[in-house]
Amino acid sequence: MKTINARVNGQPVTKDVPDNRLLIDFLRYDLDLTGTKEGCSVGVCGACTVLLDGQMISSCLAPAVFANGREVTTIEGIAEDDRLHPVQKAFIDYGGFQCGICTPGQIMAAKSLLDTNPSPSEAEIKDWMMGNLCRCTGYYKIIDSIKAAASQRSAQSGAAEGKV
Amino acid sequence: MASLLNIGRPAGHVEGPEKVTGRAKYSADINLPGMLWGKCVRSPFPHARIVSIDTTRARVLLGVHAVITAADIPDVLIGRNIVDMPVLARDVVRFTGEKVIAVAAESADIAEEAVALIDIGYEELPAVFDPIEAMEEGAPRVHADTSRYKYAPIPPFFHGDNQILPPIPNVASRVLESHGDVQAGFAEADRIFEHTFYTPNVHQGFIEPHACVIDIPSDGSVDVWTSNKGPFAARSQFAEAVGLSAEQVRLNAAAIGGDFGGKGDLMDSVVAYHLAKSSGRPVKMVMTYAEELTAGNPRHAALITIRSGVTNDGRPTARQAKIIFNSGAYAAFKPLHTIHGSVHAGGPYRVDNVEIECLVVYTNNVPCGHMRSPGGPQVVFALESHLDIIAHELGIDPLEFRLRNALQEGDVAPLGERYHNILCRETLQAAADAAGWGSDKEPWVGRGIAMYERPAGGGSSSATLTVDANGRFSMLAAIPDTGTGSYTILQQIVAEELQVPLESISVHHGGTAIMPPDWGVGASRVSHTAGKAAAMVAREVREALVQAAARELNCQPEQVRWQNGNFVADTGASISLAELLKQAERIGELPITRSATYTSPGNYEEEITSYTAQIAEVEVDPETGQVKLRKIYSAHDAGTVLNPLTHQGQIDGGVVQGLGQALIEHLQIEDGVVSTAHLGDYKLPSITDIPELETVLIETPSGPTPYGGKAIGELSNVAVPAAIANAVYDATGVRFMELPITADKVYEALQASDNAS
Ligand code: FES
Ligand code: FES
Repeated sequence: MKTINARVNGQPVTKDVPDNRLLIDFLRYDLDLTGTKEGCSVGVCGACTVLLDGQMISSCLAPAVFANGREVTTIEGIAEDDRLHPVQKAFIDYGGFQCGICTPGQIMAAKSLLDTNPSPSEAEIKDWMMGNLCRCTGYYKIIDSIKAAASQRSAQSGAAEGKV
Repeated sequence: MASLLNIGRPAGHVEGPEKVTGRAKYSADINLPGMLWGKCVRSPFPHARIVSIDTTRARVLLGVHAVITAADIPDVLIGRNIVDMPVLARDVVRFTGEKVIAVAAESADIAEEAVALIDIGYEELPAVFDPIEAMEEGAPRVHADTSRYKYAPIPPFFHGDNQILPPIPNVASRVLESHGDVQAGFAEADRIFEHTFYTPNVHQGFIEPHACVIDIPSDGSVDVWTSNKGPFAARSQFAEAVGLSAEQVRLNAAAIGGDFGGKGDLMDSVVAYHLAKSSGRPVKMVMTYAEELTAGNPRHAALITIRSGVTNDGRPTARQAKIIFNSGAYAAFKPLHTIHGSVHAGGPYRVDNVEIECLVVYTNNVPCGHMRSPGGPQVVFALESHLDIIAHELGIDPLEFRLRNALQEGDVAPLGERYHNILCRETLQAAADAAGWGSDKEPWVGRGIAMYERPAGGGSSSATLTVDANGRFSMLAAIPDTGTGSYTILQQIVAEELQVPLESISVHHGGTAIMPPDWGVGASRVSHTAGKAAAMVAREVREALVQAAARELNCQPEQVRWQNGNFVADTGASISLAELLKQAERIGELPITRSATYTSPGNYEEEITSYTAQIAEVEVDPETGQVKLRKIYSAHDAGTVLNPLTHQGQIDGGVVQGLGQALIEHLQIEDGVVSTAHLGDYKLPSITDIPELETVLIETPSGPTPYGGKAIGELSNVAVPAAIANAVYDATGVRFMELPITADKVYEALQASDNAS
């Protein structure tokens, strides 16, 4: 057994887990955060994408102990109270998902893209998102959603700057 | 039609907030107190006799609560139509990956460990993998005795000669459909062409592997959560398999993480039931993706020979097709005895004399199931490639050849179907116009065209609708939304019928325990049958509200109009919905709930179908053989587009699945072993693989859904592989008779043609 001390979605968490616990199982079963999904289990589909200290990782490959002393952000942790994160909202408005199984991973990856590069080109979006498979949408509306979220964010920050 | 407030406008998914926040619960997300994890030991051989089983070491492992073999459970078979598959292999295994023993343990890790501790002795049997060899007299029999296999009655829309389990070695079914007189047709031809095509297995590629959770409360009833798109059919199959009445089984609501035809089966749920029964605890089983790829229910590989007689000016006189689907070891995953896509071998073109033979053949491969227009992509790849070859041979432009023969109003379709409102030529022309067919191209650039046609399916669907004191309308649908956005369309239909804001309507899945029966998702029926159920139930609720309003306004219901949120009497007196509901609550009339079931008169009704024409533009790199898909033009005879956002979503996703099948995907099976056993090896199209996509919609309010919509979900993927193959030919002069068209195959073919010239 190993003890994990981490912050998950802003909350401190302390848990004993088996040595070989994967981060995805730690989230889904030890913490009951089932929003993170498991598809391929081999680091290819991106359904399990979460942020570790803001960096996107495949939680199906990462040992749970990686989270020790660090901040994990999952799909459950990006809306503020009842206000959806702009990427979440854009995925609804622009049809960025259908069945929704890949969506938590897509949204976490897209969030980390926009955190790094607030106004990505289409090529940059494709480059960043290529590790997140989606069988439903054909990706077109995922691209639309990310572009819309980016322009919304820049409009908002523009407005904020305007106030100063 | 009066102008519509909701229909035809883009609306984001009604379940959006649940799905983008991770709150939506899929089957694998259901966790119950005391729940165990189930895992299976699977056969390493494609065909073998089980000679010994030793489970002692697994049984004593700490945390293991149940270990079951076929001997521990009743000797029953399961299947959606032909009932031929054991729950766990009994005496013999018929494919690599077949479940032999199941264990339930306190964690997935312990269950895995237990699986590894089980010893099974096998004696290998001769196996057969090729359906042609399988049909030979001396071939090994996949099923030594089929006499106890049951199957469902043949549905009325099969007009041909249908044989199930006929006396041909390893044949599960043989269907012969014909129209006219092919011999006479061939006699009339100036030229006769015959070609054979092959399409390999591909996987549905849903990102959610099959999952189920079973709970058996103390009254002996069963709760099932499973990724299944047809809860009522699944309930009866499950109940029969476990010896309960349908009423004792509840298929509960859970989100489905992609279906594409592959989630209509029981998969592990019956095994999980026996584990739950044996352990006295709830059991969850989640397939790994490796299990999905090796033992799921992928799309059938098909070998297709098409023979056509034509006149020199390009008029077909006869068409004969022989389609052989490799069923794999069981037929159990197929909801029909055959693969209905075979009927598309005639195509949406005039030809008076047609004969189509479809064989579904058992082999010792992974058993196959349905995927997005089952049989369609295989048959259309063959037919549309064949037509392209003929056009080139006759010296007629491939578009012109198709335009000359495309069905028009008044024509009879190849198998004698009589449709009206035929927009076949128009759709073809729309695609050609968009693509600038015939305009100049650079070297190594090619264009290819292909068509597909299918009607929206019929069937039966149910919905209930409740209005509460706050003016909230809650709909429960008996059909699940597999992700296509069907609930959003139901929401729009209710909003339109009741003239209330979209936001006031919620739509959720009602489990089998509380809903009237429903045929489930399939056959492109959802917007049609569930849409009509939604419209019916909305009208019933409106009627109830009008009655209540008439009482409040002291008049007859006929004298009340429902206008802009108010009920207005002939006298001019009026009451708002909000007031009416308040009043109704006061006198104890709320909530008002109605339910409705819509059943279509036929399976494919109203003699309305829908056409798709797709053109691919490719660029081939002669140095590497790489096919770069530059653009897809997708033209659809769409009826009324109920929701442009979700409608386009169906086109987008279908096109990309089609290009995957054309250029990338191949579930490779060698001697019965799937060698592309994880998603790193079995490649799905990624965001970097998608081409530019231009959609052209021909909208006429003539379809069978409320407000005149037509099918789309199973139209967008089907013609893409053929269009791409034809484009590759146009670019390179090399004709591919097999999918997928990978760079190495193109490179080799180009080398070979260089050497030849
Ligand atoms: S489940 Fe982790 S990448 Fe697919
Ligand atoms: S929305 Fe279904 S896999 Fe992406």
